Amino acid sequence: MAANKGMQQALVRVKRYLPEEQQKTQSEPFWQEFTVPFDESTSVLDALNFIKEELDPSLSFRWSCRMAICGSCGFMLNGIPKLGCKEFLRNYSVRTSPAQKNTATNTSITASLTVEPLAHFTVERDLIVNMDEFLIHLEAVKPYLIAETSTQKQLQPSLQTPAQLAKYKQFANCINCGLCYSACPQFCLNPEFLGPAAIALAQRYNLDSRDTGKAVRMPMLNSHNGVWSCTFVGFCSDVCPKQVDPAAAVNQGKVESAKSMLIQMFKGSTAHEL
Amino acid sequence: MNANKTGSRWQGLHLEPLWWGLFSAGGVCFAVFIPAVVLIFGIMAPLGIIDISYQQVRGYYASIWGLMFTGAVICLPAFHAAHRIRHGLHDVKLGGGLVSIIICYGLAATLSATTLAAWYLLR
Amino acid sequence: MSYKPTLTRTWWLKHRFFMLYMLREGTVLPLVFLLCSLSAGAFALQSVEQFASWQRFMANPWVVAIHTVALIAALYHAFTFFKLFPRVMPIRVGTKLVPPAIMVVGQWLAVVAVITVFLWLFVFSGAAHGIVAGPGGGV
Repeated sequence: MAANKGMQQALVRVKRYLPEEQQKTQSEPFWQEFTVPFDESTSVLDALNFIKEELDPSLSFRWSCRMAICGSCGFMLNGIPKLGCKEFLRNYSVRTSPAQKNTATNTSITASLTVEPLAHFTVERDLIVNMDEFLIHLEAVKPYLIAETSTQKQLQPSLQTPAQLAKYKQFANCINCGLCYSACPQFCLNPEFLGPAAIALAQRYNLDSRDTGKAVRMPMLNSHNGVWSCTFVGFCSDVCPKQVDPAAAVNQGKVESAKSMLIQMFKGSTAHEL
Repeated sequence: MNANKTGSRWQGLHLEPLWWGLFSAGGVCFAVFIPAVVLIFGIMAPLGIIDISYQQVRGYYASIWGLMFTGAVICLPAFHAAHRIRHGLHDVKLGGGLVSIIICYGLAATLSATTLAAWYLLR
Repeated sequence: MSYKPTLTRTWWLKHRFFMLYMLREGTVLPLVFLLCSLSAGAFALQSVEQFASWQRFMANPWVVAIHTVALIAALYHAFTFFKLFPRVMPIRVGTKLVPPAIMVVGQWLAVVAVITVFLWLFVFSGAAHGIVAGPGGGV
C-alpha cells in the first residue's frame, strides 16, 4: 500500500515492548508514533501491516484472516478491546488543529488512535500477549460435545429440533478472540476466574441437547473461580465482536450452578444427571 | 480434577448461591418497592405533601402486611446492599474475603432481625 | 521476559462504562441509609411520642436530601436491573425469545402499580377512613 494522493493521514501510537533488544538499557514498554496513510477502507490491521512493511519491520502482532473470524488480531484501540480487522481508521477521525499539523510533509492528520496489547494479559512482545492465560480456562471447561459413548448410540443420528438449537446458538458464535477477558476487571483482579468466554462456551455445551457432559463441567462452574466471581459488569458483552453476550451466559450459569448445588445437597453426591 | 467425578454431598459447596439468591430477590424489591416507599415516607410525608398519621401507619404495620413489608422493603434489600458492598470492596481491592463476608451479611442479618423484632413487639 | 500491568484501585474511573458500573453498585449506599431510617420508624411505632420524633428526624433537610438521592438511586438501579433480567432469565416460547423490551416495560409497570397502591393507601383512603381493607390492586 503506497501513500497515494488523496489519502488522508492517521497518527497511530503503538505501545512497543522489545525485551531482548532493550536488555542492555531498560526493559520497559514505550510508545512509538507512526503516520499512516488511510482511506475509507483502511482497517487498523491494514495500518499495522503498513507500519511493519514500510516503516518499522520490528513491530510484532498476531493476525490471520482479516475478516473477524479467526480472532487473532485483538488489541486495545483507544483503551477498548477490539479486533484490528473489524475497526476502520475512518472511525478515529480527529479535527485537525495547528499543533497536529505535520510540518515536514505539510499534510494534516485527520485520524488518530492508540494501539496497545490486550489488557489483563501478560505481554510477551509489542502487541503479542500470552493467550494461554485464557486458553487454560477454556480447556478446563471441556468446550466440546461429550456424547454417549456406547457404540449403539453412536450409530444413531443426533437429531436436534430448531427449538433445541435456539437454546445455545448465540453462545456458539464465540471465536476465542479473548476481547472479553480484556474487558473483564474481575479476570484482572483474580486471574484464576474462568472468565467470560470459557463460561459462555461451557453454557453453550451444557445447553446442547446432544451433550451429556454437564455433570463434568458443573463442579468447575460451581467453584468460587467459576460463575461466582462475576459481578455482571457487562463490558464483556459490549466488546464481543460476535454478539455472544457472555455476561448473560455467565449469569444464566449462576442460576444453573445454584440448581446444581441444591441437587447435590439433596441427592448426596456430585454424580447426577442435571 | 478427574478423580472427583463422584464427590460427597458437601464437596465443593459454598454459600454463594444463597447470597446471590438474596441479592437477586433484594434487587427486585429495591427496584419495584423502594421507589414507592422512599417517595411516600422519605419525601412526600416529611415535606407535608401527604399526611400520615400514627394510628394509620401503626394499623397497617401491625398486620401481616407489616411482616411482608419488612421482608420486601428491609430484609431483602439489606442483603442486596450487603452483597454489592462486599463485591465493591473486592473491586477496589479493600477486601471481599471472609472478613467482608462476615461484616456485610452479618450487618444485613442484624438489621433484618431487629426490624422483625420491631414488628413483633407491635403484635 | 514479559510484563503484566495490574489494575489500580481507581481502575473504574478510567472508562465511562466502568464508572456507570460503579454508579450502579453505589446505588446501595443511599439505600442503606434509607433502610436504617425505615427500621428506626418501625421501632418508633411503639408510641405516639417516638413516632413524632421519628417524623421530625425524617423532616430534617439533610435526611430529605439523602432520601431524594435514594429515590434517584432506586430508579437508576431499576433501570439497570430491569435490562439485565431478560438476559439472566430469558423466556422462550418455542424457538422465539420473548422480546426483552416487553419484559422491561412489564417491570416498569410493576413500579408504577406499586407507587399507585401506596399513594392510594396513604392519600386517597388512609387519612379520612383510617385503616382500610387490603389494597385493591393486585401486585
